[in-house]
Amino acid sequence: MWLVRPAQPDDLDQILAIAGTQSARLSSTLPKQSDALAYKIEHSLASFAGKISTEDDPPRFLFVLENTGTGEIVGTAGIDARAGNGQPFYNYRRDALIHASHELGVSRRVEVLYPSHSLTDNTLLCSFSIRPELRESDAFELLSRARILFIADHREWFTQRVTVEIQGVQLDSGSVPFWDSLGRHFFDMDFETADQYSGQLSKTFIAELMPPNPIYVTLLSEAAQEALGQPHPMTVPNFELLQREGFQPGCYLDIFDAGPVLEARTDSLRTLVTSHPKSLHAANRDLGETCLIAAGERDQFRCTLTPVSETLEDTLKVPVNTWKVLNKTAGDRVRIAPL
Amino acid sequence: MLVIRPLQENDLDDLYTMAQNAGKGLTTLPADRELLEKKISHARETFNQRCAPEAGLYLFALEDTQRKKAVGISGIQARVGLDEVFYNYRLSVAVNASKELGVHVRTPTLHLSNDMTDTSEICSLLLSDEYKGGGNGLLLSRCRFMYLDDFHKHFSEKVFAEMRGVSDGQGRSPLWDALGAKFFDMEFSEADMLSGLGNKSFIAELMPKYPIYLPMLPDSARAVISRVHGNTAPALRMLQAEGFNFNGLVDIFDGGPVVEAFVHNIRTIRESINRHAMVIRKSVNLDVPADERVMVSNRSFRDFRVTTLPMHCIGPDTVSLPPEVADALQVESGDPVRLAPLKESGMLTKHIYRSSVPGGASKWQS
Repeated sequence: MWLVRPAQPDDLDQILAIAGTQSARLSSTLPKQSDALAYKIEHSLASFAGKISTEDDPPRFLFVLENTGTGEIVGTAGIDARAGNGQPFYNYRRDALIHASHELGVSRRVEVLYPSHSLTDNTLLCSFSIRPELRESDAFELLSRARILFIADHREWFTQRVTVEIQGVQLDSGSVPFWDSLGRHFFDMDFETADQYSGQLSKTFIAELMPPNPIYVTLLSEAAQEALGQPHPMTVPNFELLQREGFQPGCYLDIFDAGPVLEARTDSLRTLVTSHPKSLHAANRDLGETCLIAAGERDQFRCTLTPVSETLEDTLKVPVNTWKVLNKTAGDRVRIAPL
Repeated sequence: MLVIRPLQENDLDDLYTMAQNAGKGLTTLPADRELLEKKISHARETFNQRCAPEAGLYLFALEDTQRKKAVGISGIQARVGLDEVFYNYRLSVAVNASKELGVHVRTPTLHLSNDMTDTSEICSLLLSDEYKGGGNGLLLSRCRFMYLDDFHKHFSEKVFAEMRGVSDGQGRSPLWDALGAKFFDMEFSEADMLSGLGNKSFIAELMPKYPIYLPMLPDSARAVISRVHGNTAPALRMLQAEGFNFNGLVDIFDGGPVVEAFVHNIRTIRESINRHAMVIRKSVNLDVPADERVMVSNRSFRDFRVTTLPMHCIGPDTVSLPPEVADALQVESGDPVRLAPLKESGMLTKHIYRSSVPGGASKWQS
């Protein structure tokens, strides 16, 4: 069975392996360095335990997708309770100005990218990665949506709005048109190098070196203009899943690759709205509609897929196998959401 | 004889012909009769002190007195940017540095500015092709410095000139194509023409207001920023010899440089001397090479006149003027006149040292 649970120190090597297979991505919050990742896991565990509440280093949660049969880790997903993690969270806001002259009788719409910190402190879904072969599977949906179930059960830890950054356009050669047309001029380094620094230091660190003034879209290269707000083809399944969840692309873009930034009102997320707390009971048969089921508070949180044979009022009947994966027993409270 | 004098109403035809022949690129003097007529009448009001000092437009004609024809024009605008907004880009550098990343990148950046507001501009220089050479261009340009200093109360302490930027044979400007045209759907030549017709600030208002990072522009556009058009290179060298320097501002359309100088530092002014006119009967051969001639002005605000005469006419306290020169300058014996070198050969300085008597009346201007 597929299980989503908090990342543990023992998972370090397997997570590193997953991070290593990812192509360069500045926006990734999954470090590729062992030390940085070890710290992230440690910080995540403290966050799950409810021990982290400081403003300058807010809670960050890292989940893993485990194949319970083999014990193998095949994906990761994260939530940063406050985007920017106590530092400014950088985006470009795509906006427009009308340059008009009454005297000359002309008017022209001019698109401008404004550096913005507006999304700072929103809850951020991040660190999403999964084995390529699982991209079309139920496990993919489980990994992504398990986070929303966690938010549903720990609502007070998160903010009114949730943000997700989607990876932008990157060519097969590894070059990123938006970076090449903009960021590269200010760093004198290619995307991959900047990405490495971003992993070692922080995204904010790199972002603070970006030009502070607004950028006229018309002065970007054509390839860069075409990439604005476009998801990387590889991320399209995730993009679509998030849109079904209720996330919408707004006016914000990633400052490095111009990938879309999605936003949603936390309380309107589909998983949050359609999920219900139930009490756990045994089902006789291993049949029924497959649903997401989550249980356990804080660091005991676990989420998996299960067939549901019957739901009556407050009662939920699922196979005992599912109980075991969730570490729960009859009568315990769980949360269920349709797949 | 060639004489500088204030532009007059009856110069309109000559001026129009000159403007027509000049073609594109001379934004301050487009071949538009109505506009030229307005400029002349503005200049007339200025010389007659019928307009506010800051609104002054001083236009001088170079007249061939034999042909009674205006063959050149030059001007001073008392103040720019008061009536409409005067725009430039300031070329500055932003440094992006991080020790951790080993990054230290300089980014040249254009910032929109109105820094020249309230400053005097020398402008509108145009000389008929047939009169080019022989120091006529120098006379046309440098006579203005004597005027600026003699009537400095009417002008700012600093004076500047906008130099024409790079454009090709078809009148295409690489900077305009890379920047202006992206915001204003128009050919450079057309925008340039509209500017001359007084629409420059309207166009400027359609241009980008936020700083432009130059690395985002193509090489062809970056290469022409603060460069002058080939035809303007001699004018730039002349102004540099006078002590003008690039001040970091460029034209928002074609990237041509702005050069400026403090009036009291301009070489023509520093090397000029005052004398009293002494009209002589003896005829003088005025037809000597430019480097043996000096400019002589009558120091009149309303009827400013300047011509050239041989250096040897300068005495310790007076300057000898043959009758036709005195006539052209409209001076009589005893009137004060001002002299300044026509070329930067330093001949006047040597001449003065030789002819000055200790305790004499010769005075250096400061």
